[in-house]
Amino acid sequence: MLTLPHRPMRVAAATALTLIIAVLIAAVLWAILNAATDASGGSRVDIAHLLRMTALQAGLTMVLSLLVGTALAWALNRLRFAGRDLVVGLFAAAIVTPGMVVAFGLLSIWGRNGWINQASEVLFGIGFESPAYGLSGILLAHVILDGAFAGRILLARLDAIPQSRLKMGQSLGLSAWQRFALIDWPALRGSLPGLGAIIFLLAFTSFPIVLLLGGGPANQTLEVAIYTAVRLDFDLVGAVRLALTQIGVCSLVILLASAFTPVPSALSRSTQPRWRDSAPVRVLQWAVLVLGAIGFALPLLSVLYDGLTSGLLRVLGQAGFWRATGTSIIIGASSALLTLALALMLALGRSAAYRQGARVMLGIPAFAYLAVPAVVLSLGFFLLVRTTGVPVGTAAPVVVVIANSLLSLPFAIATLGPPLDAIIRTRGKLIRSLGLSGWTQFISIEYPLLGRDIGLMLALAFCFSLGDLGVIALFGTQDFQTLPLMMYRALGSYKSNDAAAIAALLLIFTIVAFVGLPRLIERISHASRR
Amino acid sequence: MLRADDLVFAHPGQEEPYHFSLEAQPGEVTAISGASGSGKSTLLDLLAGFIAPVSGMLTLDGEDLLSLPPEARPVSLLLQADNLFEHLSAEENAALGLPRGTPKPTGQQLVAQALAEVGLAGFDTKQAANLSGGQKQRVALARTLLRDRPVLLLDEPFSALDDETRRTTRELVGALTRRHNWHTVLVSHHADDIAALASAHYRIVAGRLERV
Amino acid sequence: MVKASSLALAVLLAGLSGTAHAQDKPVLTIYTYDGFASEWGPGVPLKEGFEATCGCTLNWVAADSSIGTLRRVQLEGDSTEADMILGLDTAIAGEARATGLFADHGLDMSHLSLPGEWTDAQFVPFDYSHFAFMWDTDTMDAPPSSFEELIALDDDIKIAIQDPRSATPGLGLLLWVKAAYGDRAPEIWEGLAPHILTITRDWSESYALFLDGEADMVLSYTTSPAYHIFDADDHTIKAAMFSEGHFPQIEVAGILKSSDQQDLARDFLAFLTSKEGQANIPTTNWMFPVVDLEAELDPAFQGLPQPEKTLTLDEAEITANLAAWIDEMLAAVQ
Repeated sequence: MLTLPHRPMRVAAATALTLIIAVLIAAVLWAILNAATDASGGSRVDIAHLLRMTALQAGLTMVLSLLVGTALAWALNRLRFAGRDLVVGLFAAAIVTPGMVVAFGLLSIWGRNGWINQASEVLFGIGFESPAYGLSGILLAHVILDGAFAGRILLARLDAIPQSRLKMGQSLGLSAWQRFALIDWPALRGSLPGLGAIIFLLAFTSFPIVLLLGGGPANQTLEVAIYTAVRLDFDLVGAVRLALTQIGVCSLVILLASAFTPVPSALSRSTQPRWRDSAPVRVLQWAVLVLGAIGFALPLLSVLYDGLTSGLLRVLGQAGFWRATGTSIIIGASSALLTLALALMLALGRSAAYRQGARVMLGIPAFAYLAVPAVVLSLGFFLLVRTTGVPVGTAAPVVVVIANSLLSLPFAIATLGPPLDAIIRTRGKLIRSLGLSGWTQFISIEYPLLGRDIGLMLALAFCFSLGDLGVIALFGTQDFQTLPLMMYRALGSYKSNDAAAIAALLLIFTIVAFVGLPRLIERISHASRR
Repeated sequence: MLRADDLVFAHPGQEEPYHFSLEAQPGEVTAISGASGSGKSTLLDLLAGFIAPVSGMLTLDGEDLLSLPPEARPVSLLLQADNLFEHLSAEENAALGLPRGTPKPTGQQLVAQALAEVGLAGFDTKQAANLSGGQKQRVALARTLLRDRPVLLLDEPFSALDDETRRTTRELVGALTRRHNWHTVLVSHHADDIAALASAHYRIVAGRLERV
Repeated sequence: MVKASSLALAVLLAGLSGTAHAQDKPVLTIYTYDGFASEWGPGVPLKEGFEATCGCTLNWVAADSSIGTLRRVQLEGDSTEADMILGLDTAIAGEARATGLFADHGLDMSHLSLPGEWTDAQFVPFDYSHFAFMWDTDTMDAPPSSFEELIALDDDIKIAIQDPRSATPGLGLLLWVKAAYGDRAPEIWEGLAPHILTITRDWSESYALFLDGEADMVLSYTTSPAYHIFDADDHTIKAAMFSEGHFPQIEVAGILKSSDQQDLARDFLAFLTSKEGQANIPTTNWMFPVVDLEAELDPAFQGLPQPEKTLTLDEAEITANLAAWIDEMLAAVQ
């Protein structure tokens, strides 16, 4: 491949990082096995049944989320209205809001005592069976989180369709269906396998939502079984066995997804000509959007409403709240920066790799966190930290930052990977013939072109960390607590008003960071070019 | 006759608006030249209907065009690149130019004829992605034939082609224009393209079209 | 490799750590569950009260759950920093005792006022309450007065309960049903199944579902109404009294054999079970104190109905059968 710039250091760095992550996971599992003693109990888990249920749930979540995401992206790409950016920001924020917050928001809309059921009782005198519990509840909550996220990613692909292509289509008078099939679909198709894999894995490993809405042991995931094995049965060998099963299944999904070579995407947003579809189609688009808003935005709005009407001032007056806010911001910023470093190392190495095999291999560590159950990861980290002799309380912030970074990594790679690949593909020959150094290539070509994507990635990682409850719950202490942990603790101390207020503030922080950070970073990267 | 009468347009932040007036005769190629950024693409966007002028008139044989959306204008478009959908075959691409509701057998026959007319007989099922630059432009021309619109707008259509292909494609455009009585408007900054094809030549200077 | 990375980690952490400076006072480290050590929990006033007299530093270390504290000590083995575990309950006391990690406390427990006499040599109780289902007078006319009445209600009446594998009240309900019905327990669970809205991981999630009006009843404690009375003089939330009797949760603390602060730990347990220490418990942990506080007990607790009968199960029986009982329950509600 003489058309690619020769970048052995990039490939080497990414390979080294891949190995480090692999070694880390191996060490985590080893540490747990090592700690298992004869005192460990035995656990009784029907793995086949669990796998079946989990795969069913995750598969349905994936299909529904991609469908909903595509419909939303389609409608949003076509419609122009005041507040469109806000709607896009709100949809995108769903993925980074804590699952608990979304789940309770969902319930206040769709629950047995939710707005919709209350309205139905007032209007028609009858309530209905709430869809928010059991498998339908899990799917509803997951599609809210993941469908909106898929919509945001796919919208970016549609917004990047070259102007000339749209002009040609419009001048040919393509029908709305032809427009979708000929222009949109080729732009979307490439993103679907990777996006689908991420959604599948998220749903496969989903923990709080499945436990809250699942209704009971019938709708369990492997993660719950692992939690039980670790906590109640103290069956560490069994936990490792379950973890290996999960890693195996997830690796299979990742490999399957990697087998589809992603269709490269365009580099940036194009200024697209105004091309409205016919009136009936526009009605359909508005319907999709309004349904999306009811489905996605209303639960979030209800969280805001509940939070801002209850106990807001009391929470703002607590020193603990501001300490937790500070901790959250420091942890979030640290993990965002660490994620950026890790994602750049991996994505730059991947885009510089010649062989498909190497590319697949360098894509795998991105999913490490999704494949390794959080309970196992934190338990292993805990044991590893102990072997280093550092007090656990002292190591906690570092562990939380590392774990949060790994958690954000698949999204970071999904954000930075395609544009980096596109740069290499379209500018590779030029870069090679100019004999640019790797550093110059990064600073004068990749970094400026990536400005917006880096901003989006930092925002994603920051918000993920801001909303994390899985890792912090296992490592937080009374001196070290983030906002979600404080929220959860308030809920556990009967202070449900405080919890609602914290949830609302958390949501506001998330949306502000998510909408604001990419713009800020883009401005900075533009300024540095002048 | 295609006639633009003082089409006024300004992009956001542009202080001095464009004022475009031109006449293009049927069966002739009317060339537009001008420096980069002088407004050539803006003129084509106005004629094709992607943007609307602040004031002015645009008529074809006395009929108003400004009220029509891009897809309803009697206009076909040929750009420098991106004219075809790469995942479709040559015949599928060309068939996008057929009027809606054309019966399938008739359509197939028309597509085959059009491909033959542009010198691509036998290329029907080939993927657009596997065609050369010149072949792609020919498929786009075949599609233009099937659309059968009286105005053809060309935006640097030969720039990406080698000399030999450029010459033959150019000749094909000239021949089709005469044969089908098209009002062909060619935007180009290549003097030899203009010399070889154009019956009339305008240059954009300071936002206005000047007859050369 | 380990050394190099630990050095790097230590350097990294040096800036972050504010607690690692040297102390000349003795330190008592107690592992407890999250809520106990939180800023709203009893941990804060207890630390203040004990440090005022002990000439020591009390250090709470919170794990995510009470069973998490035990697992952590088990993982840490002899090298654990913990001197004491606080927050286990009678349901898992047997398993904790079997680990052999706990030392005898040697304290006189005769002044305690609990349902039943307390004779445990290793564990010291510090609060208790009975498991019970909450109902809301605004949405329900009359609560069921037994499991069988609850089962007989319309399927529309939904309860939120907790997973016995992750939440102590969930485990408590399991034992409650077992203590009341013995071999008939699966039958009761099958009857309850259509009423179960959801089985949550933690108490807090199901209680939030109840407060949001999603569930008509929730498994909680007979003392839960005290919070609402105390907080907003809200008397609408009540515990349903069941004629079968109620199973108690008695929370306990135990000193670890590995501790080098045995005397200090014993002093703390004495303080914890004194009137002074106990006065902190009710309005922070929302449980009954284990000594009679008389007038000092907050009025919110004074009028709470008490079960007529307290059910019990033998500790050895629990330890031996818990796994089988959980399987039995999961199979019945599936």
